[in-house]
Amino acid sequence: MESVDRLNPEVARLFTAKEERRRQLAALSFPDKVRLVVQLQQMAAPILRTRGRDARVWNLDAKSA
Amino acid sequence: MEKTLQVLNVLERDGVVSRYAIGGAMAATFYAEPVLTFDLDVFVILPQTGGGLLTLGQLYEALRRRGYVEEGECVLIEGVPVQFLPAYNALLEEALAEAREIRYEQTPTRVLRAEHLAAIAVQTGRAKDRERVRLLREQAALDVDYLAGVLARHGLEATWNRWIA
Repeated sequence: MESVDRLNPEVARLFTAKEERRRQLAALSFPDKVRLVVQLQQMAAPILRTRGRDARVWNLDAKSA
Repeated sequence: MEKTLQVLNVLERDGVVSRYAIGGAMAATFYAEPVLTFDLDVFVILPQTGGGLLTLGQLYEALRRRGYVEEGECVLIEGVPVQFLPAYNALLEEALAEAREIRYEQTPTRVLRAEHLAAIAVQTGRAKDRERVRLLREQAALDVDYLAGVLARHGLEATWNRWIA
């Protein structure tokens, strides 16, 4: 893979920004990260279901059993 | 997820499990950027049984009595599918013993140390485990001396060195 410093400067800037975004995500609180995981589930579940996988999105507001 | 963790704490308090800690992708998420997962992996030390077999039967039964039903390999607890994994080797037993005590919002819980997550990934050895090691190395601020000890104790140094080469 081409190293970042040999890329077009604009693409290199985008890659750097992406890395910074990942660092920011890693620094979030655990509950905030869990909320983002649920958002990822919401995005991914419909796609996975079309492939026949049973993908359940977590219900963090579930009523007690 | 807080209610789910509260249920796990009750199970531990009542002796249904001797000890538990969050592992897998959600534990990795504690240390690094969020990653997609549909299960909450929970490693457990089970109380000693007469036959010495590792069986989740009593745990599942205790959950059923509380109204939580199995769905495939998981049990749905307060909206979250939880996959219980008994500690089946020395590395997992150590990982559980040394898991970090944290709070999730107001609820105390435990999460496996990042170094143990990395070692477990090396031991498991799937493609997604390599990705987990890459993520943890990049973002989790691993304690390299502690990790070296874990890898040495469990015979994982050679694989680790191949993976990071």
